[in-house]
Amino acid sequence: MKKIIDFFLSLKLTVVLLALSMVLVFAGTLAQVDKGIWTVMDQYFRCFIAIIELSIFFPRTWNVPNLQIPFPGGFLIGTLLTINLVAVHAASFKIQTNGMRRIVGVAMLLAGILVTCGVMFGWGTAPVAATDSDAFWRVFLRLGRGTLAAVVFYIACVLLYRKRAGMVLLHAGILFLLIGEFITALFAVEATMTIKEGETVNFIDHSQRLELAFTEKSNPDHDTVTVIPQRKLKNGATIKARDLPFDIKINRYMVNSSQPRPLQGIPEALKENYPQYEGYGGRLYMAEMPEVSGATGARNAPAVDVEFFDRASGESLGRYVLSLWMYPNFVNRSWDMPTNLKVGGKDYATYFRFHREYLTSPSGSPYSIKLLDFVHEKYEGTQMPKDFASQIHLINQGDDVDRELRIWMNNPLRYARQTFYQSGFLPDDGGTVLQVVRNDTWMIPYLSCMIVFVGMAAQFVQSFSRYLRRDA
Amino acid sequence: MRRTITNIIVVILAFWFFQKGIRPEEQTETEFQINAFAHLPVKFDGRKKPIDTVARNLLTVLSSKQSVRTDSGEKIEAVQWLLDNIAGRPEAVDYKVIRIESLDVLSSLGLEERKRFRYSYRELLPSLTKLDGAARSAFAKENKSRDLYDRQVIKLANKLYLFQNVMSSFEDPSSIPQDQLLGTAQRYMQLENYSIPLVIPPTAGNNRWRPLMSTLLAAHPAMSSIGHDVDVSADPLAVHMGVMLAAYREGNVDVFNGELMEFGARIQTDSPAVFEKISFEVFYNRLSAFMKSAQLYLLVFVLSCFGWLFRKEGLLSAARVLMVFAFIPHTFAIVARVFLSGYPPVTNLYSSAIFIGWAAVAAGIIIEFCFRKKAGGIGNLVAGVAGFSTLLIAHFLAGDGDTMEQMRAVLDTRFWLATHVITVTLGYMATFVSGTIAVFYIFSGLFTRRLDEETEDGMYRMMYGTTCFALLLSFVGTVLGGLWADDSWGRFWGWDPKENGALLIVIWNAIMLHARYGKMVMHRGFAVMAVFGNVVTAWSWFGVNQLSVGLHSYGFTDSASFTLAIFVVVQMVICLAGLTPAKKWKSGTTQ
Repeated sequence: MKKIIDFFLSLKLTVVLLALSMVLVFAGTLAQVDKGIWTVMDQYFRCFIAIIELSIFFPRTWNVPNLQIPFPGGFLIGTLLTINLVAVHAASFKIQTNGMRRIVGVAMLLAGILVTCGVMFGWGTAPVAATDSDAFWRVFLRLGRGTLAAVVFYIACVLLYRKRAGMVLLHAGILFLLIGEFITALFAVEATMTIKEGETVNFIDHSQRLELAFTEKSNPDHDTVTVIPQRKLKNGATIKARDLPFDIKINRYMVNSSQPRPLQGIPEALKENYPQYEGYGGRLYMAEMPEVSGATGARNAPAVDVEFFDRASGESLGRYVLSLWMYPNFVNRSWDMPTNLKVGGKDYATYFRFHREYLTSPSGSPYSIKLLDFVHEKYEGTQMPKDFASQIHLINQGDDVDRELRIWMNNPLRYARQTFYQSGFLPDDGGTVLQVVRNDTWMIPYLSCMIVFVGMAAQFVQSFSRYLRRDA
Repeated sequence: MRRTITNIIVVILAFWFFQKGIRPEEQTETEFQINAFAHLPVKFDGRKKPIDTVARNLLTVLSSKQSVRTDSGEKIEAVQWLLDNIAGRPEAVDYKVIRIESLDVLSSLGLEERKRFRYSYRELLPSLTKLDGAARSAFAKENKSRDLYDRQVIKLANKLYLFQNVMSSFEDPSSIPQDQLLGTAQRYMQLENYSIPLVIPPTAGNNRWRPLMSTLLAAHPAMSSIGHDVDVSADPLAVHMGVMLAAYREGNVDVFNGELMEFGARIQTDSPAVFEKISFEVFYNRLSAFMKSAQLYLLVFVLSCFGWLFRKEGLLSAARVLMVFAFIPHTFAIVARVFLSGYPPVTNLYSSAIFIGWAAVAAGIIIEFCFRKKAGGIGNLVAGVAGFSTLLIAHFLAGDGDTMEQMRAVLDTRFWLATHVITVTLGYMATFVSGTIAVFYIFSGLFTRRLDEETEDGMYRMMYGTTCFALLLSFVGTVLGGLWADDSWGRFWGWDPKENGALLIVIWNAIMLHARYGKMVMHRGFAVMAVFGNVVTAWSWFGVNQLSVGLHSYGFTDSASFTLAIFVVVQMVICLAGLTPAKKWKSGTTQ
């Protein structure tokens, strides 16, 4: 037991773990030449055991044996570092004061936690926060709030730990940052929102989650949408949804598929293995593709090869390929290719699409965004973009919000726990693409940055002045 | 007393060195007023600048030099070279300015290898179609499947396309026959989609900058006949410019000078704001402070080497004065760039090199004054070598064109450029400074007897102190970068290669400090680790860009990969040398 404790108390462990993390980060960077960022993240950083391929360390033209080396992953290193850090501090940085000083110190510590929580959960910010001027003051104020928390903590640390205050504070800040990133990795949601000029949209498209959606419009009051989540779309699975009069058999789930091309122009050799599809797949070629690399900046377009069966008769309704390429928001509204199924006298418009989330504010009332105008400015005499901006109208009748706002480069809108960023635009500047992120711990990096800064600066100033005094 | 006199002489010499070339040769009334021509305003790549800058940048792109040497040995300034070309002087096509280093490309174009690798446009003319074809087929390939030849062809073709576009934008279409007019108009419209110099400034009737050729074409007498319902009364500015160039072509000095003055006077009355900052930029160009500072830093380094090794305080003091004196124009030029571009000092790889050099010299000066007693001269050495090498790197990075380019929309936030970029660059700098001291430590210990106990202790303290700063700056800088990302697209940390590079520096500095606190390394081990810090920093400064992944990859050159590899190997060798047993060390260190 003592051996284990000593193991975690050793600075050697810190150094070894940090060195391992360097190798991991280096490998994870090189791997992005071939692989997409999300794959690299899962394979290297957001896991306990990473698999490093030997070939990534060499030029791709060399013929390197494809060795797979297991290596401690990001979560494992992070956890061990955390244990190591807490253990070292618990063992060697004991609270060095007692009596009144200790009580005041603990009180300051609680005050610091209070300030931190206040800053994290939006103290001093407007419910609808968009900026009209430059980023300067907004970010400055945020860092200022972080500094306030850091200074309160520092006073507490000075009271409790005396000379080691800076050391304790800076490591606490790092721990805070790691925890924040861990929470982000688990809970943050990234999505996009595509709006044409003049259009009102009330939903967002989750970037990392897909779904199979069937929309039926016979009811005059509302549309009936049935959704099959991505995790159910396994090779060979048969899905029986209660609200649908047919069963869905998944022949194949494809991680990436090729951009639709007319079938006539495809070489015979490729067409040989291409299944006989109904619908768009019968006219267009959409075949399985390897995953895209992070280097190209391209995105994967997953697809499913499915066959529908009438539940009553068991008869096949045809085999279809449903690709993300057919979903208009994936292709910036360049086209729209719904697959229409006619079963039992009803029409089902079918998409394989991003998971759709309808916008609601924390009070539960729905809201929507209308794009009034999209501006794409270029530098005079060049094609280089100078500015993108979306003039929007935010409407939430339940919460009595009705405002015109501007979302532009580096100046997002924060509303209802979501943040809307200017991200892209539709062909001919006809509309906007907003990046929508929900991350409740987004203030943690601001706070921990300042906490570490104050701690580190205090520590260095202290040792430097000690050095100068000794030198004199 | 003797030292004071030496220092004064050093200052005077340095001053003389810097003022050289600022004032151009006087031109009499019977000569072309090329100096005045250099001050004409142009909007190019989205920034207003003097035509002097356009000429220098274009010439640098083509030949990596800022002047031309003719076959007879005469030196021609960039602006005159440009004027000769755009006016269509017959000798212009014979200037040997197009640098082609690749032997494969040369042989495919049917050219002989020659000293300095520079070829004239006339020599290239017969094989231009061939080059265009090769470039097109290389463009058609995917980035990964392009081989070295493809990349070099693309590089050369891009240079020539740029050159041709600039030349075409100064064409005078007034003599084009009517039946070719429509084709010319279409060609010009296409040309306007590219970045070309806009030389006709906004005037009372027109608030946009316009290129010469289209403005002249609009005034072509036959234009109204092909259905263009435009005002055919010629734009007076364009006419002045057109006549000016024609006069230059024909060698008519009086007409050229007269039209030039008219052109300038007209802008002055119509929109005087156009001339703001223009003369200052010409002055900045002529000062070429970075090149001159670089040469002085080299001298500082050489002087300090001798002064330090042989303990000559006089040499060290002269080097110290020289260092400060080279630092002043270096600082001035950085401030001038901020003033001219309107951006914080670091916006691209070029400016990062200049800024790292500046900060390293500043650090050298501070070190010199803090540790003067214990280890005098080390600050000089650091400043000399860092200032020289970074400015040299900057010189090689300047070959891509305007170094004061406008920022793309994503990166254009002055707040983040001023905080994140500056801090993280200072973090690079501090790591490099610590690594440089370590290299001196290892060299002097291994090959000389200079590394006595006191010096060793002083150098160790310097390394430790700078590493502390490096950790602080690189950590804060990296986190600020994450905050920028969070503020721009909602992702604090995305494992983007450049982010990872910065993170590696942070981790490495943290490892160094923990190894020291845990007493895992002493003086020598710490120095070896600091040298490895150079490798880590160089990789995240340049190596990451070579991967061409992610949002940060704005700088990319082929030869840079090779240079980087050499640098890494050299540093690793120094690390190994630092690990040799103490008895092999001439200084026989105690640690």
